[in-house]
Amino acid sequence: MRQTRTAYLFLAPGLALFVVFRVYPLLEGLRLSFTNARLGRAAVRYVGIANYTRLLEDTRFHVSLANTAFYTVASTLPVLVIPLVLALALNRGALRTVLRSVFFFPFTLSVVTVGLTWLWLLDPVVGPFNYYLRTAGLPARSWLADPATAMWAIIATTVWWVTGYYLVIYLAGLQDIPRELYEAAALDGASGWRSFRSITLPLLRPVLLFVVVTHIIGSFQLFGQVFVLTGGGPGDATRTVVQHLYEAAFQNFFQFGAASAMAWALFAVILLFSIFQFRLLRGHTEY
Amino acid sequence: MDARDPRVTRRGFLTGAVAATVILEPARRTAAQPKAAITYWNGLTGADGKVMDELIDRFTAETGIRIEQQRLPWADLYAKLQVSVPAGEGPDLALIHTVEVPHFANDGVLEPIDDATVGGKGFRAEEYLPATWQGGVFQGKRYSLPLDVPQHLLYMNVKVLREAKLVGPDSRLKIPASRDELVTMAKQVAKGDTFGFAIGTVNPGKYTWGFHNLLWQNGANIFAPDLKRPAVMDPAALEVAEFWGALANQHKIAPPANANCRDAFTAGKLGYWIAGSWNFTGLREAKVEFAVAPVPRLFKHAVVWSMPHQYSFPKPKTADRAKREAAWTHIRWMTDHVAEWTLRAGQVSASRKAHGDPRIVGDPVLKTLLGQAGSWQVGQSTPKWVAAENVTRPVIDSVYTGQRPARAAMEDLAKQITALPD
Amino acid sequence: MQRGLDVQRVALTAALLVLAALWLAPIVWVLVTSLKVTADIVRVPPEWIPWPATTAHYREVLFSSSRTARIGRAFLNSVVVGVGTTVLVLITSAMAAYPLARMRFPGRGLVFTVLVGSLMIPNAVVLVPQYVLVQQLGWLSTFQGLIVPEAATTFAFGVFLLRQFILGMPGELEDAARIDGANAWQVFWRVVLPLSQPVLAALGIFAFRSAWNDFLWPLIAVNKPEMFPLPVALALLRSAYSSESYGPIMAGAALSAVPLLVVFLVANRRIVEGVRLSGLKG
Repeated sequence: MRQTRTAYLFLAPGLALFVVFRVYPLLEGLRLSFTNARLGRAAVRYVGIANYTRLLEDTRFHVSLANTAFYTVASTLPVLVIPLVLALALNRGALRTVLRSVFFFPFTLSVVTVGLTWLWLLDPVVGPFNYYLRTAGLPARSWLADPATAMWAIIATTVWWVTGYYLVIYLAGLQDIPRELYEAAALDGASGWRSFRSITLPLLRPVLLFVVVTHIIGSFQLFGQVFVLTGGGPGDATRTVVQHLYEAAFQNFFQFGAASAMAWALFAVILLFSIFQFRLLRGHTEY
Repeated sequence: MDARDPRVTRRGFLTGAVAATVILEPARRTAAQPKAAITYWNGLTGADGKVMDELIDRFTAETGIRIEQQRLPWADLYAKLQVSVPAGEGPDLALIHTVEVPHFANDGVLEPIDDATVGGKGFRAEEYLPATWQGGVFQGKRYSLPLDVPQHLLYMNVKVLREAKLVGPDSRLKIPASRDELVTMAKQVAKGDTFGFAIGTVNPGKYTWGFHNLLWQNGANIFAPDLKRPAVMDPAALEVAEFWGALANQHKIAPPANANCRDAFTAGKLGYWIAGSWNFTGLREAKVEFAVAPVPRLFKHAVVWSMPHQYSFPKPKTADRAKREAAWTHIRWMTDHVAEWTLRAGQVSASRKAHGDPRIVGDPVLKTLLGQAGSWQVGQSTPKWVAAENVTRPVIDSVYTGQRPARAAMEDLAKQITALPD
Repeated sequence: MQRGLDVQRVALTAALLVLAALWLAPIVWVLVTSLKVTADIVRVPPEWIPWPATTAHYREVLFSSSRTARIGRAFLNSVVVGVGTTVLVLITSAMAAYPLARMRFPGRGLVFTVLVGSLMIPNAVVLVPQYVLVQQLGWLSTFQGLIVPEAATTFAFGVFLLRQFILGMPGELEDAARIDGANAWQVFWRVVLPLSQPVLAALGIFAFRSAWNDFLWPLIAVNKPEMFPLPVALALLRSAYSSESYGPIMAGAALSAVPLLVVFLVANRRIVEGVRLSGLKG
């Protein structure tokens, strides 16, 4: 009994913070999604599921949902593989610490700084990237203004930004694999590829899944890169759900009700994805 | 004992952090000062902003009124104005564009100004260009007072056009007199990474002000005359949209949709450029060799896009007479010193007084700008204008980049404008 | 055989070095641009040596009389928000993690499950209601309006991280303290916290980084430009200067990287450890 009181006293400040600024807004958002709430509107009415049915007709919302999904799927493989390859190359060797730092460095930058950097590099007319492409005889493009490449440019920027983070995680995972396993495999005459497939990959599986889950939850909320690099363009080619929501709530019409409905629709999608992921995670970690 | 040390440091750390928070809490000392201090938001982010800074420093030196200026890019400024006023955090004075007046007035963001006050402060309709004066009025009530008239202008890069042999027998640069001529001449310039023609400063693909300019030249507009139905599916509007889509695609004369046209012009990679009057002082500063001409007639009429800046009072949480008076004093002072503003910031004044100033008439660019006055047009006076502009931006961008044919895009735009919430 | 391996190793190292150089090139380009005089910035072909060099852009964004760039002020704002958030996260999560790891009480499982489950909630979902709440509290454009919601976002993760760590700590020291008559608070304050230093440092850096770099929340929660933190000020600086020059923007970008770069150089090992902990136990 005493201990219960003590425990809750310890928990009180954190739980207060959590309930007021996480749980309450979550539920309040659900409530708002059934209203016609708007910034500065005094008389707020319940409108049933009108905000949700309107989402079904909002083609720009569909486009942004499709873009977000495309980004999520298309960026997962590079984010999964590039740091892994680097980690394998850097796992042993004299330059490990230095190079790890180099690759990690972009991750300390804010998304805005990353965006500004790449905006300047990729400037279609006076940016260095296109200049070197032209010098090398390769076709220069306006990467961020070309519907065929804009999302890929955002993905490349993101890969540059986060590779260091996942690299460190992979390196830690690799360090935890007992060396003896590789030595035993080498004695059995296994090739490098064989021991990668039969030792490294299976033992790294929890790490890989962590990377995928973290990346996917982040990807569904893609905003900063798009805000700085393309503003959602060209046209709506890189418009994302969070951008659509942000504009509906805070840029154009200040429709809090409609934006809340978008938020919950997004939440539902993420929830479905997460359940799917956890199924996978649970299924595979028991080896 | 060991375990105690971290506690001390941690507490010290905490105290330090709290102290820092207290010290950095925005200073409220200003209230104690005898003379008023007002907050003033504007979007003068270019070279004009520096001129405004200097003028305001002089104003403070002369009147003792301090002005806390906050400068945000226009789009961000409007979004912040809209949310900050209901939260009681709006500025005492804001500079806005004419087209913003209807929706801000409609949403209760701006305070109406009665005619007696305006007259009492010595502002008279007959001293102003009529269109700018009328721009401050929505549904019979005044919400703002005009300062100046930003507008479009044709810039010509002397070096680029000479190289492309676009020089007449009188050794003056050739000026396009029609759409076809412009395309032909621009094609003569465009090769490699040099472009013949652009409209807009940055991101030409979504430069709505340029698109509006072309619509108006063709007698088209965003809304039908009833200001309710969208008019972007009219044949005249479609013709403009087709041209918009052809600029970078079929004609291959314009830079990519996200190019910085100003940088391109400065770097000698752009020949003909329709852009805002606010660019020319910066070009002079950067020592770019350029000439100017009135916006060419590319469609039926020689209309020039313009959008006067207006002084407005965002609704305060509680009325403060001293601050309002201080704001009026500043508007008066700027109106009296508007010739300097025109000369250095490059913006033609809304008040006629300065127009005869020999320094202004003697400046070739300012003279050109004043000469366009008969062709000025502004956005339609409806609260939905800005919302429509926001949905127009990505649509014309998709046309410019060739994602969608003009007709399909305009059809979509019409649908979106119809669906705009009230 | 041995020779072949050596060649392979040299080739690999060379490839890695080239890649690392490419990885750093964008950052070098930012620095170079920020040091160039305005007239030299837009140049084709690109010039990698900023000569003549100037600190004018840094002076402009930090101190200039032009009211456009308030990077100096934004920098201070970000420091306050970063430090404030870090302190609040460390205190609340450590206090919450301790009973969850060491005490038995009804509701423990439920509390923990809810906290961990909340890690799945995307921030975007609470954006609008959180804005309404903060407005009702009168916290828009204030430090607390930035710090408290930011801390609430990181809190659950902190609890999770610290609880795992405390669970892995041997309990003997705590038992000894209790035998000496220490109460729960004293055990927590004198034994558990000092022993948790490595993970507290990791969590602190994590909390500081996310507060320092957050963009979306301050973008909407701050209406007064003098209260903008760095990322927002920088993003607006971009649109403000896009018609002028990249110099001040790049100077601002370089400045925004400094604090975390310093933290990173000083506490490289801690960060790596922190990432490791957050990653592997996540």
